[in-house]
Amino acid sequence: MPVPHKIAKKHKKAVLFFEVEILDAKTREKLCFLDKVEPQATIAEIKNLFTKTRECRPYTSIPTPTWASLGTCREGLSAHWNPQWYPARQSLRLDPKGKSLKDEDVLQKLPVGTTATLFFRDLGAQISWVTVFLTEYAGPLFIYLLFYFRVPFIYGHKYDFTSSRHTVVHLACICHSSHYVKRLLETLFVHRFSHGTMPLRNIFKNCTYYWGFAAWMAYYINHPLYTPPTYGAQQVKLALTIFVICQLGNFSIHMALRDLRPAGSKTRKIPYPTKNPFTWLFLLVSCPNYTYEVGSWIGFAIMTQCVPVALFSLVGFTQMTIWAKGKHRSYLKEFRDYPPLRMPIIPFLL
Amino acid sequence: MAAVAATAATKGNGGGSGRAGAGEGGGTRKRKGPGPVATAYLVIYNVVMTAGWLVIAVGLVRAYLAKGSYHSLYYSIEKPLKFFQTGALLEILHCAIGIVPSSVVLTSFQVMSRVFLIWAVTHSVKEVQSEDSVLLFVIAWTITEIIRYSFYTFSLLNHLPYIIKWARYTLFIVLYPMGVTGELLTIYAALPFVRQAGLYSISLPNKYNFSFDYYTFLILVMISYIPLFPQLYFHMIHQRRKILSRTEEHKKFD
Repeated sequence: MPVPHKIAKKHKKAVLFFEVEILDAKTREKLCFLDKVEPQATIAEIKNLFTKTRECRPYTSIPTPTWASLGTCREGLSAHWNPQWYPARQSLRLDPKGKSLKDEDVLQKLPVGTTATLFFRDLGAQISWVTVFLTEYAGPLFIYLLFYFRVPFIYGHKYDFTSSRHTVVHLACICHSSHYVKRLLETLFVHRFSHGTMPLRNIFKNCTYYWGFAAWMAYYINHPLYTPPTYGAQQVKLALTIFVICQLGNFSIHMALRDLRPAGSKTRKIPYPTKNPFTWLFLLVSCPNYTYEVGSWIGFAIMTQCVPVALFSLVGFTQMTIWAKGKHRSYLKEFRDYPPLRMPIIPFLL
Repeated sequence: MAAVAATAATKGNGGGSGRAGAGEGGGTRKRKGPGPVATAYLVIYNVVMTAGWLVIAVGLVRAYLAKGSYHSLYYSIEKPLKFFQTGALLEILHCAIGIVPSSVVLTSFQVMSRVFLIWAVTHSVKEVQSEDSVLLFVIAWTITEIIRYSFYTFSLLNHLPYIIKWARYTLFIVLYPMGVTGELLTIYAALPFVRQAGLYSISLPNKYNFSFDYYTFLILVMISYIPLFPQLYFHMIHQRRKILSRTEEHKKFD
């Protein structure tokens, strides 16, 4: 049976169009004027329009789709030497010193008249979160192996390409490598990011941190003069158990968080424990993924009995605590019925 | 670095670099000053520090006159130097609790570099204490700190004599390079003794699987002066231009 077509109805309805002018937040210079913007246009769409106008030459208009039209672009003084301001690096706000508007915000729902004035701030070159994560995690994976295989010029020449005689060193390599493989796979297939991009300089900062610490830890663990743990196989077994449990826990939390949010959306919900026992930590903490992560590294530190690993765990713990507290605070702000028993990262304590 | 870092990169103990005397140059930022208790405490702190560094200055002069030479004067002012320079750690606390509007990180860096030179180099390596380079940075620090702490004192009391402001933002031009030279020469002089004694160093194998070579660390510290010194120095020159010219303008309208 033929399926009936739906013919797009072309009808002219009286629509109240908005006008949007975009000024530079710092200089108040008029950067762009958009007339005939649909009231249901989102900030994301306005950002796209802004980008397109920056491509035009002065006083020409651009052919437009039927749902919105671009006004004449008045090129500011800065136009000819500024880089192209793609949407990811635009911050548009109602007040020059105010908060950035979200991409999902709809024009007619904003507290503006029919002529909206938006202030623009350049966020600087942006890079996608996925790119940053992949780079910062691939580094440690590769770098650690350089030390594990005792590639020349790291240790003395007589040790080139030799192998450690301690079991724990091989175990440590497996743990470290699988940890970062897990992170890479999670970045590609599990995580659902709220933001698309971050400032470009973050990639240098983050990579220095991850790659630097990986090299520092790997140097000592794979050193020919490495000393195995004081309490021998007992210590290693205990530490390995802690490590594996925490890795499984961390993965379970990532999966639970993923299931909270449908693909492509940016919804935020309170996470709750599921049937998976590892997720029961949600009863006591807001960010059990961080709790498990700290646990994993403590396990690794006990297993290798190596001060640089302990320092890495400490620094990581400090940073994750800051993040967890922030996350906890925004949960409390956003949800009235947020479970009161929960602490940010350590049950009952922190 | 320890020399200049403390001179004026910080807005310092409650005074504010451009604020005192001439008043804010019409900025839109409303700076909430410390409360009356905090102000009283800071005035006392800055007066005590000014006095302390004056004691060191006087001690140096007296020792020079007594000995007849400028060598090995360190020993005569060792105790007050250690006491008052270490006391400056309080300034980190002042920033942390908010009674001084400077950055905790910047202030920590500045104070720690001074404390490092006093304890981890000069005190720890006895052989460098008789070096002339020590006198070089001690003199630079002494003059700088006397001016700096009196600057803060007067600023807090809202009665800053122009000469103090001028001194703070001018003398660094000579004192900073002088201090840096003294510091670098002292660290350099300490190197062979650090190497010989294996000072503060730990080598493999050990049960912590960790190693630290203080000798290499000191060399890295010396190298770090190369990017840091010009930055701080030119920042000060920039501040000088801004603050001293602003006072000139205010004077015109008086």
